[in-house]
Amino acid sequence: METLQWFFIDFLQALAAGLLVGGTYGLMCVGLGIIFGVMRVVNFAHGDFMMLGMYLAFYMVTGFGMLTFLGPYVGPIVGAVLAGPIVFVFGWLLHRYLIARVTGARVVSAEAEGHYTQIILTLGISLILQNGGLILFGSLPISIQTPLSRESWELGPIFLNQARSVGFVIAVIFALVLYFFLGRSRLGKALRAAADNPVAAAYVGVDVDRSHRLAFGLGVGITAVAGGLIASTQTFQPYIGFDFVIVMFAGVVLGGLGSILGAFWGGLTIGLVQQMSTLVLPYQLQNTAIFVVFLLIIFFWPRGMFGRSWERT
Amino acid sequence: MLKIRSLNVAYGGLQALSEVSLEVEQGQFVAVVGPNGAGKSTLFKTISGTVAPLSGEILYKGRDLLAVAPGERAQLGIAHVPEGRQVFASMTVMENLEMGAYTRNGRARWGELLPMILALFPVLAERREQLAGTLSGGEQQMLAIGRGLASAPELLMLDEPSMGLAPALVDAIFERIHQIHRQHGLTILLVEQRVAEALESCDSGYVLETGRVVMRGRHDELVADPRVKRAYLGM
Repeated sequence: METLQWFFIDFLQALAAGLLVGGTYGLMCVGLGIIFGVMRVVNFAHGDFMMLGMYLAFYMVTGFGMLTFLGPYVGPIVGAVLAGPIVFVFGWLLHRYLIARVTGARVVSAEAEGHYTQIILTLGISLILQNGGLILFGSLPISIQTPLSRESWELGPIFLNQARSVGFVIAVIFALVLYFFLGRSRLGKALRAAADNPVAAAYVGVDVDRSHRLAFGLGVGITAVAGGLIASTQTFQPYIGFDFVIVMFAGVVLGGLGSILGAFWGGLTIGLVQQMSTLVLPYQLQNTAIFVVFLLIIFFWPRGMFGRSWERT
Repeated sequence: MLKIRSLNVAYGGLQALSEVSLEVEQGQFVAVVGPNGAGKSTLFKTISGTVAPLSGEILYKGRDLLAVAPGERAQLGIAHVPEGRQVFASMTVMENLEMGAYTRNGRARWGELLPMILALFPVLAERREQLAGTLSGGEQQMLAIGRGLASAPELLMLDEPSMGLAPALVDAIFERIHQIHRQHGLTILLVEQRVAEALESCDSGYVLETGRVVMRGRHDELVADPRVKRAYLGM
């Protein structure tokens, strides 16, 4: 009887941890998902933009101490949020001068041909960011030290890590703001129209290239925020993007390619599976569990949980 | 209003349009007819800017259209209702119409145009919140035309509005197009494979074959022409 009770508590604990971790995963997946959904570009460098967000948050909070005046509690959160606009601008410029050359209206007609150069380009950007990060930031694993990461809130028998809880709340807020921006605002609708049918979007007066630039900036920007949030819950080094990009791809595919809401649920599911698997499997098999569940879901719902019921013609 | 002079367009070495010249006057209904592969859609795509010409000139209200970015051309009052409808499948009927009104003029006149569009196509009002991808072919065509009208255009370009529709629906669609022309005095440029329907109420027309204008004339000249009668009207 007592073992069953302990197992139940463990279960709830893993569930809570999964939800909290999954929230930030969800935000990352939304970032990758919006880039794929609007531009049809598979961004292999996405994890490295997250890494940039981590280091930006780190340097603003700890390294240069710009945010020390905000105190040890608020500083790391503001740092993570501020990493967003900085990486947004970086992504905007990168698209303007590099990525736009192999994507957009001109390549839409030759889709398969275009994808090769896109894959090589984003892979190249990934390598440059990783190794550039190694030169600039060094290889020593670091993390943002905040009292939040060591303290927990107690919810009955369950412990909620404070840094993760705050990260979860902020991730959900960002995902919701983005969701309403895409659903309600004029610019958001133009972005969806450009994603849905770029040719028709141009006919109604949408600047498709600019929509792509906005989508890319937003995608990498919110992923940088997710990175900044994670930076106070775990250690990281310049190669960390690679560990996460696989999780992100799995999340986006799980949610259904092209669905923003789906990408969030996909990321959340990955977080849940990862934490819940520790109940029955050794810690090292977390990622194995993720991909077993991933394959199962794709086997039963090939379009993902929120996939579109029709295809683009 | 629209003047095209010796337009040449090629895709990968294949000449799609050769020396095409065409004119649309303000308030006119001009039809471009011809068989499949004559280059009719290419003509439209060149006007909208998704295809770049090799040479030639397109003047819109005296302005060099080829110097205007594709996304900006809609702002000038040109609405292109593309072949195969191309509605935004993942967006609702209302959102599609809102996207039509993305232009400055469309936004300014949204309040007056929306009731007009919904009166013209009552089925769109019934299906407001439905995703456009789930509409029938005829409804999608109506939505595509409605989206074009929502931009408050001065020139409405319709590319094969009859494509893939049942004969009864084709009649209904053409009826609406005439109505838009008569009641609202809109300038219309229509491209059609269904020659009889297209020539029926146009002011003037062009016959395009393998990328060349082989015949042009007023409505009465064209329908009386023995070659047109034989080749297209089955008489």
